[in-house]
Amino acid sequence: MELQKKLKILAESAKYDASCSSSGSDRGGRGTGAAHMSGVCHSWAADGRCISLLKILMTNECVYDCAYCVNRRSNDIQRTILTPDEIAKLTFEFYKRNYIEGLFLSSGVVVSPDHTMGLMLEAIKKLRREFRFNGYVHMKVIPGADRSLIDQAGLWADRVSVNIELPTDKSLRLLAPGKTKETVLSPMSRIARMITAAKDERRSIKNTPAYAPAGQSTQLIIGATPETDREIMKLSEALYDKMALKRVYYSAFVPVSKDSRLPALMDPPLLREHRLYQADWLLRFYGFKADELLDEAHPTLDLSFDPKTVWALNNLHLFPLEVNKAAYADILRVPGIGVTSAQRIMRARRAGPLKLDDLKKLGVVMKRTMYFVTADGKYGGIKKGTGEAIKVKLLERENPNSQLNLFSEAALAAIGYDAAQTQALTALVKAGIAETVAGQL
Amino acid sequence: MRTYLYDGSFEGFLTAVALAMETGGPCAISNETAAEAGLFSEFVNSGADPRKAAAIRDLVEKRGSAESWHHTRYAFLSEVPGAETAILEYIKLLREKGQAADNMLADDRVKKVHGLAAGVGGEAHRFKGFIRFKELSDKTLYSRIEPDHNILPLVTSHFRARLGAFNWVIHDARRGKAALYFKGKLAYAPLTAARALEFDGKEEAVQALWRHFFKTIAIKERLNPGLQRQNVPLKYRRNITEFDRQ
Repeated sequence: MELQKKLKILAESAKYDASCSSSGSDRGGRGTGAAHMSGVCHSWAADGRCISLLKILMTNECVYDCAYCVNRRSNDIQRTILTPDEIAKLTFEFYKRNYIEGLFLSSGVVVSPDHTMGLMLEAIKKLRREFRFNGYVHMKVIPGADRSLIDQAGLWADRVSVNIELPTDKSLRLLAPGKTKETVLSPMSRIARMITAAKDERRSIKNTPAYAPAGQSTQLIIGATPETDREIMKLSEALYDKMALKRVYYSAFVPVSKDSRLPALMDPPLLREHRLYQADWLLRFYGFKADELLDEAHPTLDLSFDPKTVWALNNLHLFPLEVNKAAYADILRVPGIGVTSAQRIMRARRAGPLKLDDLKKLGVVMKRTMYFVTADGKYGGIKKGTGEAIKVKLLERENPNSQLNLFSEAALAAIGYDAAQTQALTALVKAGIAETVAGQL
Repeated sequence: MRTYLYDGSFEGFLTAVALAMETGGPCAISNETAAEAGLFSEFVNSGADPRKAAAIRDLVEKRGSAESWHHTRYAFLSEVPGAETAILEYIKLLREKGQAADNMLADDRVKKVHGLAAGVGGEAHRFKGFIRFKELSDKTLYSRIEPDHNILPLVTSHFRARLGAFNWVIHDARRGKAALYFKGKLAYAPLTAARALEFDGKEEAVQALWRHFFKTIAIKERLNPGLQRQNVPLKYRRNITEFDRQ
């Protein structure tokens, strides 16, 4: 089979892996290529996702029959395999033209996990040794492969990852009969230990080889099985805390097969995926705990509002916050303020007290922030604003054209309001608007 | 109002800043090629004086900080009309307030220069990804770019670290100049029209593979051309291999 055809088949099968990151490593030296600490995106595909690596499977042959996967054994598709030499050459030719930051190599399982990982390692070693390639390499670990092969992976790649794919053992058993939680989690914890050990050793012995310097990541498929957002976020939290993962990726399930075990989905749940990423960011960069965002009574992320706004509305007693006095950790928790603008607030207030108008100049999204802060004692939101009133104002601003819809009972019923609530809400909105108008006069 | 004209070089610009600050009072700085004659303006050619320029650098770094110098340099590379005068105002503020000036993020003078610098830094980072090399018959890698800002000097060290084993050319066709990297040495030279380029025999085939990959990797259930356009603006596309034939 000619190379172009192989490339098409193997990229086609690799594209559902969400990870494209090329950050976290600053490899370099003699030879060709280097990695950039912050990562570099080289292009964006028609689906708007960044392309930074040649993301490809070594082979789409597979001994497993996982229901969610396009490469499952029972699927009638054309199969092919790239040789280690073809993989190394292709990566190098793309790299020197600056199409990519490096290689993302995954694979179906051919013959056995050990055999598969052996071939993948051969390709990467060839790239590193023969082509003297110092660019970024992300290598997938094949669950079930021998420990010595897993140990090698981190020595040659910048990032290694094992995809959990399905958040619970029950779902795994149902959809991925060849896998269990154990076969997935045991290589992950092995890699975590190797990374920690190498880091510790490098503190005392400088030339200890780095082990997966860009860390470990994983992916969860969203919407193929009935796990709640709360279950997913608790799992992610545990992965960050206990396994020191760099990233958990969430991939809205795209139905790639008709299987009675799978839900009948019309479209991939992209908005849900987006909200999960927002919640994930809150865990990693904003100091939130999963329990603060979701509890047993509310296990689902609100699709209409970002999770930080929902949290703030549920904790209105903590607001408004005076931006000239509040601690950094509290400013980070205000809706509409990101890490960058929080840092700017801290910096700018050293030069003098900030006013409401100044906040906008610092990059704060005032249409969300105004309800939750005061600046130099001034408040720009709704007086006596209840959570519901603020919600309505926020929705109006997000989508001014749907304002009329919002007041219709049908629309409110659709989001779960009964007649009494609708009436109360309408009254609150009117009061809210009246307050705002009065405040401006 | 008095306008100081400089020769387009950074040194010339800093000389103009020195002269403008000596005179005091409101004045403007403009590239001599870009200046528009105003009825009430008075033009002064500032020339380029290495000592005056060094004194301004000293002022920016010592009254301000290394960060202030970074903002000054990057904002200058923006080549946005009015950037020069904005930088002059910023340096005046540095002289008055010292390091505290860079904390005044809501001050329009600071916000303007920090913003210009961030725009330049952002475009330079983008081009680390967007630059596309094509292999010529003599194995030199050639890239054509048309960036909004003068980012060429900000991306060369990046490619030097990666493609040190190759000879390469990055040609800023918009400004008619190029960074030339041959046998481990980097030089800048004017380059207006590259003669018809002769490509390596394999070049077309590699490009075809890449276009193929690029098309295949998009998930069709998630098509989002708006997001793609936001990330790869149309203005850059004609020099990016995977977009240049669309």
